[in-house]
Amino acid sequence: MKVKPVNHAKAAEEFLEDAPHLTFHDERLWDMRQKRDQQMHLLPEWQDLRTRASEIKEHTLANLPEYLEQFEANAKKNGIHVHWAADGAEHNRIVGEILEKHGAKSLIKSKSMVTEECDMRAYLEPRGVTVTETDLGERIQQLDDQLPSHIVVPAVHKLVPDVAKIFAKNYHTDPNDNDPQSLAEAQRMAARPVILTADAGMTGGNFLVAETGTFVVCTNEGNADLSSTVPNLHIATLGIERLVPRMADLGVFVRLLSRSALGSPITQYTTHFRGPQKGGEMHIILVDNGRSTRLGMEEFWTSLKCIRCGACMNTCPVYRRSGGLSYGAVYSGPIGAIIDPTFNERKYSTLPFASTMNGSCTNVCPVKINIHEQLYKWRRVLAEHHELPFVKREIMHMAGKLMGQPKLYRTAINGTEVALSTMPRFVLYNWLNPWGKHRELPHPVKQTFHSWYKQNRLKKDKAQ
Amino acid sequence: MKIGLFIPCYIDAFYPNAGIATLELLEKLGQDVEYPMDQTCCGQPMANSGCNSDAAAAEALFVRNFAKYDAIVMPSGSCTHHVRDNFDAIPQTEDVKHVRKNTYELVEFLHDILKVDAFPWAEFPHKVGLHNSCGTLRALRTASMSELGEPFFSKPMDLLSKVKGITFATPKRPDECCGFGGTFSVTEEAISARMGLDKVRDHHNAGAEYIVSADTSCMMHQQGCAERNGVPIRFIHIAEILNGARA
Amino acid sequence: MSSRDTILATLRANRPDPAAHPLPPVAMLGDMDKGRDRFENSLQILGGQILMPQEGDTLATAIARRFPDAKVICSAVPDFEGTIRIEEIESPQQAAATDVLVVRSPFGIAEMGSIYLSEAQLNNLNSAAHLTQHIVVILSEENLTANMHTAYLERPEFHTANYGVLMSGPSATADIQGVLIRGAQGVRSLSIWWE
Repeated sequence: MKVKPVNHAKAAEEFLEDAPHLTFHDERLWDMRQKRDQQMHLLPEWQDLRTRASEIKEHTLANLPEYLEQFEANAKKNGIHVHWAADGAEHNRIVGEILEKHGAKSLIKSKSMVTEECDMRAYLEPRGVTVTETDLGERIQQLDDQLPSHIVVPAVHKLVPDVAKIFAKNYHTDPNDNDPQSLAEAQRMAARPVILTADAGMTGGNFLVAETGTFVVCTNEGNADLSSTVPNLHIATLGIERLVPRMADLGVFVRLLSRSALGSPITQYTTHFRGPQKGGEMHIILVDNGRSTRLGMEEFWTSLKCIRCGACMNTCPVYRRSGGLSYGAVYSGPIGAIIDPTFNERKYSTLPFASTMNGSCTNVCPVKINIHEQLYKWRRVLAEHHELPFVKREIMHMAGKLMGQPKLYRTAINGTEVALSTMPRFVLYNWLNPWGKHRELPHPVKQTFHSWYKQNRLKKDKAQ
Repeated sequence: MKIGLFIPCYIDAFYPNAGIATLELLEKLGQDVEYPMDQTCCGQPMANSGCNSDAAAAEALFVRNFAKYDAIVMPSGSCTHHVRDNFDAIPQTEDVKHVRKNTYELVEFLHDILKVDAFPWAEFPHKVGLHNSCGTLRALRTASMSELGEPFFSKPMDLLSKVKGITFATPKRPDECCGFGGTFSVTEEAISARMGLDKVRDHHNAGAEYIVSADTSCMMHQQGCAERNGVPIRFIHIAEILNGARA
Repeated sequence: MSSRDTILATLRANRPDPAAHPLPPVAMLGDMDKGRDRFENSLQILGGQILMPQEGDTLATAIARRFPDAKVICSAVPDFEGTIRIEEIESPQQAAATDVLVVRSPFGIAEMGSIYLSEAQLNNLNSAAHLTQHIVVILSEENLTANMHTAYLERPEFHTANYGVLMSGPSATADIQGVLIRGAQGVRSLSIWWE
């Protein structure tokens, strides 16, 4: 089956039509960016932290096999079962087998982008496992059957009445409840019994520490701690790029993570798992799912430095006005646009173009990923791989030829006839028409600069 | 110093006054300026669309036109960014290297190379909102970037501050992209136009009578958005103000 | 070949040159103030509270005043009685009935207002720290460390505990229309009692 590219532009247009949601979304994320700036201004060492974080990550990625082996050895020594998953299917199979072995039918989990990558719930549920997201935002998205629209705040595109409706349907609360406090309380009350009776808990993770075999989970709600400490079976899923070499390296990342994400100094909970709790069993699944291949992409491997803070989304003027779901992918926003094509080049071929390449994302990135430069490079790669729409490709080809021929170009500028004669008129118009949909065209002028110069300088020169 | 003047295609076709002002200003400052008549485009639209090989003819022509000059000056941040940072569709000969190394956006040329300290002929008794294009701001770095928390500096504002009577409006999101983005303005027209509208409203709400910028492409887009939505604000290229335009 | 070996082999083939990316020395950056004032300011930002003693207060009277409706007050410290001792609690289900848990933290981080707890402080019932409605943490000013760098370098607990959590104020969420709510899934409040 031929995969169709995500139509970001169309989804964005729909998002823009809903003024209350659009305004809230833009302002909420902009506020997060502002709070991030405030934190940055409080730390004179901010740029040093970013540089250090980038260096540590690049070093780790260049030595990833050794650090993974070190991590595995230490984790095993601490009594953790370590699994390796080449892709999403293998990951899901491993989780399924662990649960089956324990006869576990009810799984509570905290937010994990990797399990979204693997589409794990869709695998487990038909096999009789009830999966319950415990992060409030993620739970809202689960109940609404949507992907998270943001890495850190999964339901940021929803307003209170949206949540009230979803909760009314699932928790039998008042559909007109417009108090976030009471809705959050409803979630707490609904989640507690599920948490207390769950057979197994699952978490993602932010960091793996090679030196100690530790993994670290950062949350604000404390739901990862509940998910991992209440049931006696804890499965953690992490991408293989989450590593840092030393325990002491965590200082750099913990100081940057929440400040970049939400503008709070630290997440309310920063939890270090080094081994199973008393009487418990702990599994870690190290997931590749394309990462080892991406490491070999000279222009794109540094995207593996990402610590999933979402700062690039918060600052992105396109993301703020189009919403995460418009990207049609697990990872949205600027970081999504450079990662997603590594999962499926055709499907996500439109995403590197869903950007003005303004560069703000690169500046806020705590690990200094050159996001906007990678967007630029992806465009090249996609053009070379013939993943551009035919009309765009043809217009660029035609324009490129024209721009190399000054005489022809001059005729075209003066009449626009040449351009039109080399392409079917309707094709060109269909492509250029959108300019005028929400915008006026530039006003016609009497004389081009070229012709003015000829008249006012060249003729003058001759007269002298 | 012999200067070659590059006038980007959209200035040539739609905003010749910005080009004329650039030329006249450089002449007023005593510079020896020539405009090669065979120029077309720097290659940026093709390269930014990913079609880098299609930029080769434009880039080769650009080098043929400008290799003989000591400096190449253009009233456009994004074209300067392309030539300086991304101009690689053609083999990097000595001429190409020379052109890339000596290409300047007008503001940085006036500020860093000519170090102009006065525009005695200039007076602009209006409140203006300065729009730094993302190309000038984050690629050419002609002003401080809010994301980095660096000490404030602004080359365009330094220059404009020497103009009699001018005052500045302070928009809420001064660094936010206006949404032009080249072909983005067409392929993602809805978002692009919305960003443009938000941008002009931000300036208008801050009390700006004019939006002034070193990049006409951003302003062409913003003007289209302002006019369609009835936002009463005017647009002017920084070269025009520095050259003495009064309105 | 196992997935493990395939992944490692692919990484070895694809990785950038390790020589070009040396490991930087451990970072030690920023404010080194480990004072109580800094800790309290940070704690307040994250929604934590100080349990302020009044004239003649003991921890017990302070808790009684702060949590007048609390029925189950669980103590995880030898020097405070409570209504139940953590050693008497056998399961998370039982722990879920706790109104207030009193624990002693081995250290706090001034930069963040964070306190640390591990299985050593929780009698291996780690869930107790999250199932209780409120938590009161006994902390000594002497056990404050300046920031995250000093914490990870100095504190041996990070190398010994199987479960170690830095709690920075109470559980919180802003997932419903950006409204900050303290007391999301875990503790509704976190209070520090200085000793």
